[in-house]
Amino acid sequence: MTVPTPAASPEKASGPQTASGAGPGLEGRTAPGAGPGPGGPTARAGWGRWLLRRMAYGVTAIWATSAVVFAATQALPSDPAMAILGRDATPESLARLRLELGLDRPLWQQYLTWLRGVLTGDLGRSLDSGTDVGTLLGGRLANSLALLVCALTVALALALALGVFAALRRGGPADRLVTSAAVSLQAVPGFVVAIALIILLATTVWPVFPAASLLEPGISPFAQPWYLVLPALTLVVAETPYLLRQVRSSVIDALESDYATAARLRGVPERRVIWRHALPNGLVPAVQATALTTSVLLGGSLVVEVAFSYPGLGGALNAAVGARDIPVIQAAALLLAGGVVVVNLVADLVTVLLTPRLRTGER
Amino acid sequence: MTSQMTRRGFLGGAVLLGGAALVGCAPQQSAAQPGTLQKGAVPEGTPRRGGRLRLGVIDGNRAGTLDAHKPLTMGSIIRGFAVYSKLWEWNAEMNWSPALAEETEANADATAWTVRLKQGLEFHNGKTITADDVIFSARRLTDPSLGSPWAALLFALDREKIDKLDERTVRFHFKDGQGFVPFPDTFTNFGAIVPADYDPAKPVGAGPYRLKEFTPGQRSLFTRFENYFKDGQPYADELEIIDFQDEASRIAALQSGQISLANGIGADQVKLLQGDPKINVIVSETNNWQSFDLNLSKEPFKDERVREAFRLLVDRQELVDRALSGYGRVANDLYSPQDPTFDKSIPQRAHDLERAKALLKEAGQENLEVELVSAEGGDAAALVFATQAKKAGITVTVKKVDAATFNGPQRLDWTISTGGLLTESFLSSALHLDAPVSAANKTHFSDPRFAELFEQALTQPDVAKRAELVHEMQRIQHAKGGLIIWGFNNALDAASSGVGGVAPEHTQFATWRFEKLWVKETA
Repeated sequence: MTVPTPAASPEKASGPQTASGAGPGLEGRTAPGAGPGPGGPTARAGWGRWLLRRMAYGVTAIWATSAVVFAATQALPSDPAMAILGRDATPESLARLRLELGLDRPLWQQYLTWLRGVLTGDLGRSLDSGTDVGTLLGGRLANSLALLVCALTVALALALALGVFAALRRGGPADRLVTSAAVSLQAVPGFVVAIALIILLATTVWPVFPAASLLEPGISPFAQPWYLVLPALTLVVAETPYLLRQVRSSVIDALESDYATAARLRGVPERRVIWRHALPNGLVPAVQATALTTSVLLGGSLVVEVAFSYPGLGGALNAAVGARDIPVIQAAALLLAGGVVVVNLVADLVTVLLTPRLRTGER
Repeated sequence: MTSQMTRRGFLGGAVLLGGAALVGCAPQQSAAQPGTLQKGAVPEGTPRRGGRLRLGVIDGNRAGTLDAHKPLTMGSIIRGFAVYSKLWEWNAEMNWSPALAEETEANADATAWTVRLKQGLEFHNGKTITADDVIFSARRLTDPSLGSPWAALLFALDREKIDKLDERTVRFHFKDGQGFVPFPDTFTNFGAIVPADYDPAKPVGAGPYRLKEFTPGQRSLFTRFENYFKDGQPYADELEIIDFQDEASRIAALQSGQISLANGIGADQVKLLQGDPKINVIVSETNNWQSFDLNLSKEPFKDERVREAFRLLVDRQELVDRALSGYGRVANDLYSPQDPTFDKSIPQRAHDLERAKALLKEAGQENLEVELVSAEGGDAAALVFATQAKKAGITVTVKKVDAATFNGPQRLDWTISTGGLLTESFLSSALHLDAPVSAANKTHFSDPRFAELFEQALTQPDVAKRAELVHEMQRIQHAKGGLIIWGFNNALDAASSGVGGVAPEHTQFATWRFEKLWVKETA
C-alpha cells in the first residue's frame, strides 16, 4: 500500500517530509495497492475504482497470508496429534486421533477443506479443546479489541495533546522535557512496564487494581473495566511515545512549511495558521502512525496479555502455535491479516479525507 | 503388547506445562527445610463451611478438557480431581489406598482383582454408584475409539471379561490370563468412576465438587457436592480453577488475593513469597525425580563404560543445589524409593571425576561431543550438567526444544535428553520406562534377565517375595540402565493464609486435595 501523500499532496514542501516523518514503519506495511490519484471530472469514478482495487488487493493479501501460515504450520516440528496426546501416546491412539482430525489426508485437501469452511463461515474446531474456533476466538477478539480501543483512545489523546504542545514550543525546555520523556519511555520494554505497574498498583505499593485480568467469560470487558486498566495503561506507556513524536514532527513540518509562512505573511493570525492550516495537514502522518500502531496492537500485545493473564487474541495464537492447533492458528492469522488490511484501508480513507486535494479531486 | 504408555505426560504436566514449576531455574542456592512450611504454620482451626477456593494453574499452551478418561493437560488432571472420584486414591505417601472401593483383593498370582464398592455411594446426579458403572468406566477408559493415551496404562486389562459379582462387586481379569500386580496403581490416576450414561459434554462424577461452568483455557467453576463419600467434606461452597499462562502473573494474582492457591510454583518464587505475610509456601518432599536419559541404542552409550562415566561425572548435589535451588535431594539412578519393594541397600553413587575420565579413556571417548536435548523447564539442569561434563572433557551442547517438539516424532531418538517422572510404584514406573512392554522407552534399555524378572514380579502380589525380584531388577538398572536419575524434587505450593487444610505431604497434591481445603472466615 502506498501512502497517497507524496504524489498527490497539495503541499509540495510538506508532502514528502511528512511521509518520511511517519517513520520506517510505513515502508514496513507492504500490502499491495496504489494511491488514489484520481483527478478532474472522473474523480468520483476513480475513487470507486481505487476503493475496489484496494479491497481486491486486501482480500488477496489475506488469502496469501492464510496459505503462507498453513505452509508454516506444516514446517513446524512435531504434529498436532503428538502435541495433543503428549510424549508417550501410543501409535494406536495417535493414528485414531489423526483420523479424527483429518490429518491423514493430503495437505492440499486439508487446506482446501479449511478454505471452503472459511468461505461458508465455518472456522472449524480447535484440535486441542474441540471447541468451535469461531466461539473460541470470538471472545478473545472482543477482549483484544476492547483493550485496543481503550489503549489507543488514551494514547492518541495524549499523543495529540502533548505532540501539539511540544511542537508549539519546539526547541524550548517544555519540548525537550516531553521529547526526552517520550524517548526514554519508548526504550523501556513492555514487560518491564507491566511488572512495574503490577508492583506499583496491584500488589505492593498501592494495591488498587487487580494484578491479573481474570475477565469473567461471557461478559463484555467494558462491564468489568477494572481489569482493563493496567493492561491498557501498559500499552499506553508503550505506544504513546511513538505517536507523540510523529504528531510533534509533522506539526512542526506543517508550521514551518511554505504555505504556513505564506499565510503568516498575508497577515493571517498565528492562531488561525495553527488550527486551520498546520494541524489538519500535520495529522495525516499521525493517522498513518495510528494505523501502524493499531496493526501492531491487534496481534502484538502478547507481552501485555501474558503479563496480566489477559485473555486476548495474541495469547490464543501463541498457545495455538505451541499446541500445533492448526485451525486456531489459521483463523487467528486470518483475523489479524484482515484487521491489518482493514485498518490500513481506513487509515488511507481518513488520509484522503484530511487532504483536500485528494478529497475533491483537483483544486 | 507394544501399546505401553508412560505417565510421563503426567510429569509433562508438572515439568513441561508447569514450566519452572518443579525444576526451578533460580540460580541462587537456598536452603530448604523439606516437609515443613517455610513460614508460619499450617492454618489451624476447625474446618469451616462456605466460601470459594481459587486455584491458579499453569497449563502451558493448552486449553484442556473435562473428559474423565482423557485429561491431556495438568490443568485437566487437576480439574478431574475436583469432579471425579476413583476406586483408589493416592495417600500422602504416594501409595494407593481405597477411595470408592471398600475392599480390593488380588488372587494368589494376581490374575484376578476383586473390588467391592462402599455402600450407598452417589454420583453428582443422585444416581447410586453400582458395579455396572465401574465396569462401564473401565471399559470406557480402555475403549480404542476413545483414543485415550492413558488406556495404555491398562494395556493388560481384559476389557471383554469384567465380571459383575453383585451390585457392588466387580472382578477384573487380564489378557491371556496373565497376572497384573500394579492394577490399582495404573487404574487410579485416570480411572475416574462415571455413570454408565456418561456424557463428556455434561460431566458427572462422584468427586468433591460438581461442575458449574467451564471456559476452556480460562477458568472453571465448581460447587460443593453435598453427598460426597467422605463425611462432612468438602468444605468450601465453591471452587474455581483459573488458567494462567505466566508464572509471574499467577504469583502476582496470589499476592493480590485474586487466587488463594497456586500449585507447583517455581523455586525462584519461593523467596519472594516468603516475604509476604499473607502467603504460606508449602514444601512437600516427594519422590518425583529428575533425570538425564541416555539412549542406549546409540553411540556412545552402547558402551557400558561410557554410561558409567556419565553417571560418575554427574555432581548430583550441585544439580540439586543449582537446578532445583536446593529444593530436593540427590538420587541414586533408581526410581520409586517409597515402594516397599525398593532395595535400600544399593550404595549411593558418588561423584568421581577421575574414574569417569579413566573410563572414557578406556572407551576411547575422551573428547566426546554430544547434544543434550532439553524439554522446557529442563534446561537449568541441562546447563549445569554441561559444565560438569566439560570437566571430564566432554562437550555437551544443550538444545532446548518446545514441548511439542520434545514429544514429537523424534521423542525416542534423542541421544541424551532431560527426563523425569512423578513417582509411582516400582512396577508401574517400569511399565512406563524400561520394562520390555514399554513403548516409550526413551533409553531403549533392554535386558533379558530384567525382562524375565519383570514378568515374574507382575504376577507376585506378595510384597516380600516380590521384593526379591525387584531388588535384582534394581541392581541391573543401577549397573547398566540408561536413566541417570540425579535428584528428587520437592513439590512447592503456595496458599493464602486464608485457606485451611493445606499440609505438606510426600506428593504434589497439597493444593489439590480439594475435599480437605477450606476457606477461613477472614478470607
